[in-house]
Amino acid sequence: MDLYLPILGLAVLGAGFAVVTIVTSALVGPKRYNRAKLDSYECGIEPTPQPAGGGRFPVKYYITAMMFIVFDIEIVFLFPWAVAFDSMGIFALVEMVLFIATVFLAYAYVWRRGGLEWD
Amino acid sequence: MIAVHGSVLAQEIEIESPNIAYSAIYPILIVFGVALVGVLVEAFAPRPRRYVVQTVLAAAGLGLAFVGTVLVAGDLPETQNGLARGGIEAEGALAVDGPTLFIWGAILLLSFFSVLLFAERRLESGVTAFAGQAAALPGTEAEREASTRGLEHTEVFPLMLFAVGGMMLFPASNDLLTMFVALEVLSFPLYLLCGLARRRRLLSQEAAVKYFLLGAFASGFFLYGIALVYGYAGTVTLAGIDGAITNRVGGDGLLLAGIGLMAVGLLFKIGAAPFHAWTPDVYQGAPTAVTGFMAACTKVAAFGALLRVFYVAFGGAQWNWMPMMWIVAALTMGVGCVLTLTQTDVKRMLAYSSIAHAGFLLTGFVGVQAATRDSDDMTSLVAVMFYLLAYGFTTLGAFAVVTVVRDSSGEATHLSRWAGLGKQSPVLAGVFALFMLAFLGLPATSGFMAKWAVFTSAWAGDAQLLVIIAVLASVITAFVYIRVIVLMFFADPVGEGPTVAMPSVLTVVTIAAGVVVTVALGVAPQPVLDLAHQAGEFVR
Amino acid sequence: MIVQALGVRTVDDLSEFGTDPWWLSLIKAVLIFVFLLLLTLFNIWFERRVVARMQHRAGPNKNGPFGLLQSLADAMKLMLKEDIMVKAADRLLYVLAPVISVIMAFLAFAVIPFGPVVDVPFTDRQTPLQLTDLPVGVLFVIAVASVGIYGIVLGGWASGSTYSLLGGMRSTAQVISYEVAMSLALVAVFLYAGSLSTSEIVNAQQRLWYALILLPSFIIFWVSMVGETNRAPFDMPEAEGELVAGYFTEYSSMKFAMFFLAEYINMVTVSAVATTLFLGGWRAPWPLSLWDGANAGYWPVLWFLAKVMMFMFVFVWLRGTLPRVRYDQFMALGWKVLIPVALLWTVAVATIRAMTLDGGLDRRVLVGGALVAVLLFLLLSIVGERAPKEEPEAEEQPFDPFAGGYPVPPMPGQRLPRPEPAGVVPGGAQPDQEDDTARRSATEEGD
Repeated sequence: MDLYLPILGLAVLGAGFAVVTIVTSALVGPKRYNRAKLDSYECGIEPTPQPAGGGRFPVKYYITAMMFIVFDIEIVFLFPWAVAFDSMGIFALVEMVLFIATVFLAYAYVWRRGGLEWD
Repeated sequence: MIAVHGSVLAQEIEIESPNIAYSAIYPILIVFGVALVGVLVEAFAPRPRRYVVQTVLAAAGLGLAFVGTVLVAGDLPETQNGLARGGIEAEGALAVDGPTLFIWGAILLLSFFSVLLFAERRLESGVTAFAGQAAALPGTEAEREASTRGLEHTEVFPLMLFAVGGMMLFPASNDLLTMFVALEVLSFPLYLLCGLARRRRLLSQEAAVKYFLLGAFASGFFLYGIALVYGYAGTVTLAGIDGAITNRVGGDGLLLAGIGLMAVGLLFKIGAAPFHAWTPDVYQGAPTAVTGFMAACTKVAAFGALLRVFYVAFGGAQWNWMPMMWIVAALTMGVGCVLTLTQTDVKRMLAYSSIAHAGFLLTGFVGVQAATRDSDDMTSLVAVMFYLLAYGFTTLGAFAVVTVVRDSSGEATHLSRWAGLGKQSPVLAGVFALFMLAFLGLPATSGFMAKWAVFTSAWAGDAQLLVIIAVLASVITAFVYIRVIVLMFFADPVGEGPTVAMPSVLTVVTIAAGVVVTVALGVAPQPVLDLAHQAGEFVR
Repeated sequence: MIVQALGVRTVDDLSEFGTDPWWLSLIKAVLIFVFLLLLTLFNIWFERRVVARMQHRAGPNKNGPFGLLQSLADAMKLMLKEDIMVKAADRLLYVLAPVISVIMAFLAFAVIPFGPVVDVPFTDRQTPLQLTDLPVGVLFVIAVASVGIYGIVLGGWASGSTYSLLGGMRSTAQVISYEVAMSLALVAVFLYAGSLSTSEIVNAQQRLWYALILLPSFIIFWVSMVGETNRAPFDMPEAEGELVAGYFTEYSSMKFAMFFLAEYINMVTVSAVATTLFLGGWRAPWPLSLWDGANAGYWPVLWFLAKVMMFMFVFVWLRGTLPRVRYDQFMALGWKVLIPVALLWTVAVATIRAMTLDGGLDRRVLVGGALVAVLLFLLLSIVGERAPKEEPEAEEQPFDPFAGGYPVPPMPGQRLPRPEPAGVVPGGAQPDQEDDTARRSATEEGD
């Protein structure tokens, strides 16, 4: 735990800095009311109304997110594997190559089916 | 400082490489391997070739895995004074024993015939019964285009193989984590398959979403149960949990809550009341081939897992969960039977019938557990395994019959449309009548022997009350099944009446297999019963 | 297996860490904090000056010596500006987002080693020049960087503006795409170092920097590091031509400054991580390392800073040189090039490592294999270029210069119709002289 406490200290410092400066600027800065100023900025035209709840995003973002999770989980397995690799030898190599190949296969499928196209 | 680091690196702890006996688990590996090859085929084979390649690949893979299962079963070592055969493989993750192999065999046979149903193309005039392009919204231009271009989702074959792999892993898993992974592996492809019907797509998609949401919820229960049991026993291996229960390590509250929550997850998959609500909607909405596959194979796999968890891990706490299972069994039979009466849709009727059968199976589940060497006593394990095989083939055949009774809008599933079927196609109606009688449990059908087996084991296991309830329930459902038979043979068709489409040889073979097994297990059940006997107990 | 593998980590010698008294830790934390603030001010100035020099301008040179105080003046000015909270904003998240961004930017530096164990002045204590180290140090950096993305995506979402939302979405998609390649590039380093702790990784590079033996990893890491920090040429989230300022369009005053600060600290962070993992951390570069004192005392801080500034210079250089790439090109680079290459490279490294451990791999075999691989790659790339493109032939559609009601250029496969001379009737009689002159004069008028 001793190893982690200094991180907390740094976090408190950072948070304190951010909060203090933001609050100070809010106190020090001028406040001149102007209705147009409080609108969302869209280069001077009337702002587009925002759909409730953020609306729908293009599906490709979701595909990217799902692919990310798949690969991130692969990486989660790769890290401890890499660290312990020396003591496990050939077995670790074979198993991990099989694992990577399995994920790669699904990746090839997504690639061929246009899941990685971003137009 | 440098010297210090050098010595530190030198004293790194050795990790032993796990030892995996591939010779015992290769049937699973074949199924998963073929599924992966199927994904590759989807990625790289040209579209017109995929259907043939995938069908052949899936059927061959399942056949090969079945042969492998038989070979593995051939040289299982005896353990536990000859009461059980097999061993714990893959670092304690898998138990490859007699019951596991029996269940693998049943799943592989049933899924082989399911592949044939999946591959049926003649009924939809040249395409499979799965959506041409699942991503196209129902009723849109994109859907029409997919339909006119004759697109097919041949991904259903790899998906199904993944599900089969999960189903094989589920009853074989010897620790709760493997079991959870297996549960997910078998569930996810099924959720997807449910939503892929070519006709009535909204219904199908609704079924998929319902199944997914409720299934995810049930998985959550199961996982939470695992966590509590782990909290109680400090281990997730089944033998370890059994040891903790036998030694009374204390903290029974945790254990009971854990057992309860895990039971929710497993009973959901089985479709037992009060966790049955998804069954009719999903069975009705899913493509009929998928429904048949689910009804037959999922039940086999889930019962296998239920038996293993409750007998091997929680056997010591039997007196704690037995009352719960009694109530669930009675409730399931009650709900299944009574609600079957009110159904007007064939697929929903079969769904409720499957709930009722889950109740009968649970009746067998609470029966005699301990086996003795060289005895012909009907143990629960033998009875349930026999029932699963018999019921699986009957229900797969029944759903196969449903796919061929059609009108212009696809399958004619409303019961009124079945009136007069016997006059139009006496053979088909006769086959369906046979399946109905098997569900009912008439002598000389597999249903009778199966029910006889579970009732015997339950009676011997001091569950007489439950047996009486089960017999009463059978009598109630008899009304339904006989009503269908009467409708088919003695009622006049309404309007134009249904047409019986001529299916290709694939569906015919599946129906024929259902008929043959139903009759054979009814007339000469002894070889299969012997096989189940030989399988012995679960290894611990 | 994971549990076991993590169990190995306990043999990491982290005994030097976690023993500092609270005041020493506090001093270190404050020093890191101040260092990052000052470095950010410096880097903003540095970037503006260097880009200016690249564009034959002077850059900021009025405030302070060489204009060094320009960024400080800007920061003060921002502080005195009005703090606008737009109407459509989700108030809580709108305020929280820059705070999250900046805290996470600071945190990553907690595990970066600045130097070896040194004597603390005025005491007889010894302490490493590093706030703390963890058995999972690099994982911590990656985790913190990922949480930092929340600041961006929440800021974009909470602003209630289309530009912000799009910027936030783009940024998230971009960062998660490149994080995969980045993490995969690190696997090879862990394989060789046998550790996830930053100080151990630096120690493991006494003989050879990993940039030399794991060059592909280093290159992949470097490219994804630019993508990860949303810097040119990968700065689509704040593409001013399309999205005004991306996710911080609606931010003003100090909240805007926080995002700005976070971005610059993140640049320093990834540079420091690259230095630590690939360039031997605080270890002196080759000619200097011949001097025994180079790797002792406070000198290493200098080498460390020099390496970090080298990366910073490249960041600026890239910005000064390269135009922004298109978003689809960027995603294609990440998903179709970096990730597969990183995976293959990981497998290759593991194979070489396993063979080396298993019985000593002949170095000549290795070099030969590498040569063959390079040759194959070259061959493939040449062949690949010659292969006919598989683009479907566009159907010969007649070119409609006003398709959709607007004048449009021809599509691929379409040909601009040759302007037929007016008045020529196909198959008609030879136009007489008068008509011809009339046409010519008409053309001249048209010109």
